[in-house]
Amino acid sequence: MNKKYILPKAEKRSWYKLDLSAIVYPTLQRKDFSSVYRLSIVLKESIQPDILQLAIDQALPRFPTYKVSLRKGLFWRYLEPNEKPGPFVTPDISNPCMPMPFKLNNRYLIRFYYYQNRISLEAHHCLGDGSGGMCVLLTITAQYLRLLGHTITNKGMVLDIHETPHPEELEDAYMRYANSKVKPPRLGEKAYRVRGTKEPFYTLNIIDGIMSVSEVMTVAKSYKATITEYLNAVLLYSLLQKQATDFSFKTRPVKIAMPVNLRRFFPSRTLRNFISMIYPTIDPRLGEYTFEEIIIQVHHYMRYYINDKFLRGDITTNASTQQHPIIRVVPLFIKDYIVKQFYTKVQDRNSSAGLTNMGALQLPEDMKPFVERFDIYMGQPFSPRTNCAIISFEDVLTVNFASSIVESDVERFFFRKLVRDGIHVKIESNREPGLEVE
Amino acid sequence: MSYCVNCGVELDSSSVECPLCHTPVINPSEILLQIKNPPFPKEKGSVETVKRKDLAILLSIVLISTGVTCALLNILVFNQSMWSLLIIGVCCCIWIFMIPVIIYTRLTIYASLLFDGLALGSYLFLITFVTQNDRWYFHLGIPIVLLLTIQTEIFTLLMRHIKISIITTSLYVFSNLAVLCVGLELIINHFLYGRLYIIWSAIVLTVCCIIIISLITILSQKRLRESIRRRMHF
Repeated sequence: MNKKYILPKAEKRSWYKLDLSAIVYPTLQRKDFSSVYRLSIVLKESIQPDILQLAIDQALPRFPTYKVSLRKGLFWRYLEPNEKPGPFVTPDISNPCMPMPFKLNNRYLIRFYYYQNRISLEAHHCLGDGSGGMCVLLTITAQYLRLLGHTITNKGMVLDIHETPHPEELEDAYMRYANSKVKPPRLGEKAYRVRGTKEPFYTLNIIDGIMSVSEVMTVAKSYKATITEYLNAVLLYSLLQKQATDFSFKTRPVKIAMPVNLRRFFPSRTLRNFISMIYPTIDPRLGEYTFEEIIIQVHHYMRYYINDKFLRGDITTNASTQQHPIIRVVPLFIKDYIVKQFYTKVQDRNSSAGLTNMGALQLPEDMKPFVERFDIYMGQPFSPRTNCAIISFEDVLTVNFASSIVESDVERFFFRKLVRDGIHVKIESNREPGLEVE
Repeated sequence: MSYCVNCGVELDSSSVECPLCHTPVINPSEILLQIKNPPFPKEKGSVETVKRKDLAILLSIVLISTGVTCALLNILVFNQSMWSLLIIGVCCCIWIFMIPVIIYTRLTIYASLLFDGLALGSYLFLITFVTQNDRWYFHLGIPIVLLLTIQTEIFTLLMRHIKISIITTSLYVFSNLAVLCVGLELIINHFLYGRLYIIWSAIVLTVCCIIIISLITILSQKRLRESIRRRMHF
């Protein structure tokens, strides 16, 4: 451990263009909002912060697009390699995914925390999506375990910190696949928005539901659905119940914004953003839906939209906007204003909640005994609402709700439905007791 | 191991109530056990403010050098009048206006507005000093600056501390507009003719009064208010 560590010869570039998705996230930056997500790994032993810091220092140079700072050009923002000291490990806080001003933290867009057995990584979405971030977290954790004297092999998402990054890891994979012959229009209708009391600045309410994968799988199979379809349907069901209890003037469709990992359909090793959004919807104006009908709707929606043809069309539509010659020459501050207005008035109102499923994580066999579970948080929602993220490891499935409203109605409806379906759920939360009365 | 009697979920051993429905946890068998570590830390984080030190230094240097070079030019070359004082005054005003933005960001908005008013008043005094005519300063300049400062402070107070909606914002805007127009005309007429009376601002006042009364009516009638909001939302 005391041996002098030689930094790997990572491919050095003087700057990186932001990928297609990453262009949007910095424009949404507000004093009280940053597009920051959190990934956590819970180990079986307490974390040693000094060893963790060493592991970060050794492993992070392997990820040149994460050891960067964000800079402004005249027309676009870009990422610049950051050689300043850091990022530094700090004790965890009760309000994760805090805003991340670009000029603070030595300009790093990544943060590391530890608490008891848990290591958490928070990254700005302009660096990469959850899959890329998870690669960083797992490689750092593997290095941490190696520094503790264990033998961990490099496999899957655990990368070799001594090898030079593959050029594909740094690519904007959207551009490689944005070649559909048509650009399908984006259809959108205002969705139901969860009504609730906005929490004060710096508050992010978390409710984690921990359950068994096999139990959830059995219940999902009984509905002839996959785990993602089942949990998606439960969230839609909860939102429909919430809308029914709200005193709203107008009933609106309930929509979930769900990122799809495009690596499943378009081969790429990119560690940057490579996701597309789909919007499973239930329109209560058409009539009352039973839970079984919601599952059927979600099942068919996903079968219809999640395939390479539709997703390629979606990527092409997005890329064509960015590559339009007039848009390219518009100064950045005007682009910022237009994108922010579009996001606030259209995109943000297009969904009632967010749901992401990272699926079952595969670790090297020799790393598995040290890991208990994973957590993933979609971060502070842009407008007051709740976001849901799902991840599983071995037989532990975690559903993490992150919300910026005081009321926990959606979470309550969600977990009560799971319990009614016979799933054992353990709840953990950072909510302070006594703040809300049902 | 405790379960919520309402939700049926298992709760963390450190929970004192169910996070979903807020039912208190009362488990007689675990009442004497020591509370375990909570799953989340108690310490709350906060973001430090962005320091714009470099920009503040650059701005200060540019303004100081502008003032100094103009003063030298005034003394050494164009020395018929003290025109450089006006430019130095503008530089000082810009510096004071920029205090809350880049120099001292923690300054409250009320204090910075007060400083802005004082800076504007001082600059007008500088003009009277250069032009050797102070009648307009005491009877026109100072009252108008005072009126603007007080109005801006009140408007900011209302916007920041009282519930804001499109209707209440409109109410504040029209009330301020009426007071501003009447105040300006009274000050100007008193300066020009030595009498306090209003003519054109009376029309503005009447229109504003009609709008204000309508807005107050809308605000006081919940059904009407909701109906307007429903139809006018964007």
